[in-house]
Amino acid sequence: MALPAHDEPRPADRQVAWVFDLNKCIGCQTCSVACKSLWAQDEGMEYQWWCSVNTLPGRGHPRDWETMGGGYKDGVPQPGRVPTREEWGGGWDFNYDEVLFSGKGRSVHLQPKGEPPAWGPNWDEDQGAGEFPNAYYFYMPRLCNHCTKPVCAEVCPSGAIYKRPEDGVVLIDETRCSGAQRCIEACPYKKIALNIARNVSQSCIGCFPRLEQGVAPACVRQCPGRAVWFGFLDDVEGPVHRLVNEWQVALPLHAEYGTVPNVFYVPPLGAARLNPDGSLDETAPRIPAEYLRGLFGPGVDQALETLKAEMAKMRDGGTSELMDTLIAYVWKEMFRPFDRDPADITWGDAAPASVPAP
Amino acid sequence: MRSTSAVPKPASRGSEDAYRARWRWDKVGWVSHPNGCFPGQCLLRAYIKDGIPVREEQAGVYETVEPGVPDMNPMGCQKGAAWCHALHAGERVLHPLRRAGERGEGKWERISWDAALTEVADAMLDTVQAEGPDAIMFEPGHGVDAFLMPILRFKSMVGGVFLDANATRNDFNVGMHVTFGKFFVSSVDDYFHSDLTLIWNMNPVYTKIEVYHYIAESRYRGGEIVLIAPDFSPSGVHADYHLPVRPGTDAALGLAMCHVLINEGLYHAGFVKEQTDLPLLVRTDTRRFLRGSDLADGAREDQFYFFDGVSQEVAAAPLATLELGELDPALEGRYRVRLKDGQEVEVTPVFELLKAHVAGYAPEAASAVCGVHPDLIRMIARKAATKKTRLMSGLGAGKHYHGDLMERAMSLVLALTGNWGKKGTGSISWDGGPSSGGALIGAKQRLGFEGTEQVIDAIEMVRDMIKAEDPTMTDEMAVIEMERRATTQGGGMMVPPVFSWYYHGGWRDAWNNRQWGDPAMKRPFDQYFQEALDRGWWQGTERPAKDTPTRVLLQIGGNMLRQFRGGQSVLLEHFWPKLKLAVSIDYRLNTTAAYSDIVLPAAMTYEKWTPGGGSAEIMNYQFSEKVAEPPGEAKGEWEILRLLAAKLEERGKARGLTEYTSAGGAVHSLDGLVDRYTMSGSLVEDKLADELVRDTVALGSIPEGTTLQTMRDKGYVRFTGWGRMPTALSIADAGDLKPDSTMTALQWHVEQKLPFPTLVRRAQFYIDHDWFLEAGEALPVHKEAPLMGGDYPFVITSGHNRWSLHSINITNRLLLETHRGHPFVFMNDGDARARDIADDEEVRVHNDVGSFLVRTRVTPSVRPGQLVIYNGWEPYLFRGWNGQADVEPGMVKWLHLAGGYGHLRWSPVHYQPSQVDRLTRADVSKVEPAKGS
Repeated sequence: MALPAHDEPRPADRQVAWVFDLNKCIGCQTCSVACKSLWAQDEGMEYQWWCSVNTLPGRGHPRDWETMGGGYKDGVPQPGRVPTREEWGGGWDFNYDEVLFSGKGRSVHLQPKGEPPAWGPNWDEDQGAGEFPNAYYFYMPRLCNHCTKPVCAEVCPSGAIYKRPEDGVVLIDETRCSGAQRCIEACPYKKIALNIARNVSQSCIGCFPRLEQGVAPACVRQCPGRAVWFGFLDDVEGPVHRLVNEWQVALPLHAEYGTVPNVFYVPPLGAARLNPDGSLDETAPRIPAEYLRGLFGPGVDQALETLKAEMAKMRDGGTSELMDTLIAYVWKEMFRPFDRDPADITWGDAAPASVPAP
Repeated sequence: MRSTSAVPKPASRGSEDAYRARWRWDKVGWVSHPNGCFPGQCLLRAYIKDGIPVREEQAGVYETVEPGVPDMNPMGCQKGAAWCHALHAGERVLHPLRRAGERGEGKWERISWDAALTEVADAMLDTVQAEGPDAIMFEPGHGVDAFLMPILRFKSMVGGVFLDANATRNDFNVGMHVTFGKFFVSSVDDYFHSDLTLIWNMNPVYTKIEVYHYIAESRYRGGEIVLIAPDFSPSGVHADYHLPVRPGTDAALGLAMCHVLINEGLYHAGFVKEQTDLPLLVRTDTRRFLRGSDLADGAREDQFYFFDGVSQEVAAAPLATLELGELDPALEGRYRVRLKDGQEVEVTPVFELLKAHVAGYAPEAASAVCGVHPDLIRMIARKAATKKTRLMSGLGAGKHYHGDLMERAMSLVLALTGNWGKKGTGSISWDGGPSSGGALIGAKQRLGFEGTEQVIDAIEMVRDMIKAEDPTMTDEMAVIEMERRATTQGGGMMVPPVFSWYYHGGWRDAWNNRQWGDPAMKRPFDQYFQEALDRGWWQGTERPAKDTPTRVLLQIGGNMLRQFRGGQSVLLEHFWPKLKLAVSIDYRLNTTAAYSDIVLPAAMTYEKWTPGGGSAEIMNYQFSEKVAEPPGEAKGEWEILRLLAAKLEERGKARGLTEYTSAGGAVHSLDGLVDRYTMSGSLVEDKLADELVRDTVALGSIPEGTTLQTMRDKGYVRFTGWGRMPTALSIADAGDLKPDSTMTALQWHVEQKLPFPTLVRRAQFYIDHDWFLEAGEALPVHKEAPLMGGDYPFVITSGHNRWSLHSINITNRLLLETHRGHPFVFMNDGDARARDIADDEEVRVHNDVGSFLVRTRVTPSVRPGQLVIYNGWEPYLFRGWNGQADVEPGMVKWLHLAGGYGHLRWSPVHYQPSQVDRLTRADVSKVEPAKGS
């Protein structure tokens, strides 16, 4: 099927969405490693991490991405810039041979070849902000937001970016991409990167080949923290819809960028704050409200209040549909209907093939 | 409502097909990392393309166990999801290598397997003839994945010394052993039941990635999470409260909580009367327990007494049960007792002593020590008194010099609040899990059911003989005693490393450094060491002996130069020069392999069938399948040791050596060695999986009818019983194993009134050993950490890192990119500013022991005066190859040489001295960046 070349991408018939619970995410990077292993191993993609988890507050990945522009203002695409290779960091090639097999002993040590790195995909891990003992931080996985208004698609000079009608996944047609990098400039989340071997833009594909087989994306299905829900936003019975639309405890990141993202976050509650004498300070949260509003908008206050109120019900021996959803007793219900076991898939053969018995 | 179906596959469009093609595979296999990661045992699947495992994904097939408790899916972590990237990594060893330059220089020549094995066998035989087999040391580690089975089997046949693998790793909870006589753990899903989780000396956000969700989910269930740590560690991100305890003062904090519990009358009197030694009577004249031998000739030394409030008389504490029946032991009061010699003495319950003792830990006073505000101390103590409380206390406390005191104080909080043996309560250590076939294979003489029964019968006979010596013994006590005797009589499997470290390893000077040790030591370390030997406390374990330095070192997946505290500088100076041959059997060239003379290439997990062992934390029996061929000339370790056995036999014959005797008197025969090792050729790696499943069924740990095919179909089988051959490490959990319930450790002590395996058969908080009295540690007490490494302004805390298991994954290229790709030290932002040190600046960390270069990570989450450098960095990741172990003096606490006292005596994997690292003192200095690198 040929793709129409137009500036306004056709809206999707249905939209999938992610909800990440920052009160469950532990920054373990299993999602990012799962994604990298599956999709970003080829030459030219060494530095690409479509899914990355960073410690917030922090400068993130690429470094200071929130200052690089892009997105919409009043419906108009805003100028932005392409992150430099140094701002991305990563893609390190280590000197195993030199250290272990070349007879240089202790005069060399294992490190990336070339200049020592100054940044990487998770450079400011566990650093955070505040002042001891009131330091604060939390973890945030980030991937392409598969925006309802994908500014990347609008600015693409080749018409190579489209929203899949079936699921709303934003895809770059690499056969059409000319490597102009306008999408990279325009994406306010800086989640598109250039394949430096092939000169095409690449980003998270929403694991659409998995979705087509009824399997949840790797970042979702491989999250050991059980911190992410996935599904169609219009599935009113599904947890994504309930968390985003009904309970309104899951919020988009930087909604002010204007692209209407489809990745949502349950904001972090944070630990209690301490007074200078070490006693509890119940007048203010440890994570400054202003900081969270800067990420998630004014709705974050109510979201946190809702979470606290429902948690209090549970502590008092009551029940809460919201808490039951967040607990997620049955793992597969977190990503229905994408709950198929990938190992059951047959690729035209009679049965799934397994390794031989001993 | 269109939620029921997934996404339809449209016709080919754009570059979509290229991605569809990428997500395809030829085969799938079950994989896991059962020894590399214990107790991980997460079930994953490897997806194989063109014969190569290209990626892993968690299987996600675990069924719900307890209704209302989240299932265990999808167990796994980023290490497991990146494991296959190590199969073809730059540090992989593909061929036998012989050192061609200086040790550590990295010059190698490729040699044949035959040449390599000949050299190893000749060195072993030379050593056997010159100095005896005790001069051969095996150092098994986590790098290879056969769960020690072939190594133990091989070693039992050829002799040699195997240092207690738990002591060399210091995965100890000494304080728990002192208190409960054992380590134990509940199943991980039991976390969900906790109403109050005290994360204390643990960092589960890093170390329990695969099961951490139960903690976060318990919070949504209504539980509260409290982080007790010097820094706002990553495990503070989801905590409700953080108690920023001053490093090393956890015992003061715990005792202050006990003060609150006692003074506010919040303690659970019935629980402590039944479960603990707090009602037992102590003589105030000697500070020793009142014993049977005080009262009558011929009475038991280990008979202890209460003052019974009903009869108003001294009554013997039952030995065979915790059940009190009609007795109501007094917790308070002072009483007079007439001894057998007519003398009248005063006695008082331990609780009375404790009450006076904790008076010194009033919250305000303790706050001045531990830095936690008195209000917070009271708040947490009161919560613990009314909530199902769990200590998420990992293996961190035991790595402090006075970690035993911390754990004893923390356990006392649990005791006073009645918090063990019920769902959601207790503490976290580790265990051996239900018995499985792997536990038998080292001892079997022939494959098949009869060979199995033979081993089990022999073990049960020994256990029953031990029980017959004292019918009041529990099975657990008998099993512990059996394992102890196995190692002290006839050569045994493991020996405590303390003697090797002291005589040959080079640590004696450090241990005698008064500044680095406990100021309560009235005598030099040497004197305590000698006294412990003179009193026979370590009889049968003093191996290798003083006059038997190690000559041949066989590292099998181990990485001694990375792992030992105070490691490589001390070892390379003292231990290494005495080695005639250092051999490393591994799949990767780790630092120790880099300093070896011969490196033999081993197969990785995925390249051989690897059985899981037991773990009650996870409770599933599973396998890791062979999903790839070993590359190059790599071989599985069963096969490597078979080849070595054959070579030993051949070379022995050539020099007319057919048998030799170990220092312990065991006779080792070279004649027929291969036949014995392979059970006449029947034991080959590929047959093993089937045998192990059958044996696990025979042991009764998994259902009748389970076969290897069951495992291959389903991936795992949930354990249904503890099995007929429990080890001290599995029987310790003492909880019901049900198909539809979490397992709660210590349940049988509370419900069935099963005695504890301690001297007093109760959770024991008063230790009247003469050394403990000398140390002032009869009751748990706070002691300041000694100035290990010298008087410097910073303390180094550490812990398991997030990015690697031991050092196994630390050089995995993919994982290196999930952090800065180089070692780092977290330091407080104010400290850094004061020293004009920037983030990611290379600094020198140094003390009286040594120094190393490392880059900083500046953060307010670390307290002033604290340096956090996580463990696991391969030394060759540091410039100059020196890392934090090079500033750690590798101290052991002298008191842990104490023995001859109930449960305080050598116990494999349990009680023995072990090196500590936490709170090493150091300073941080700026360095000029080195030019050109």
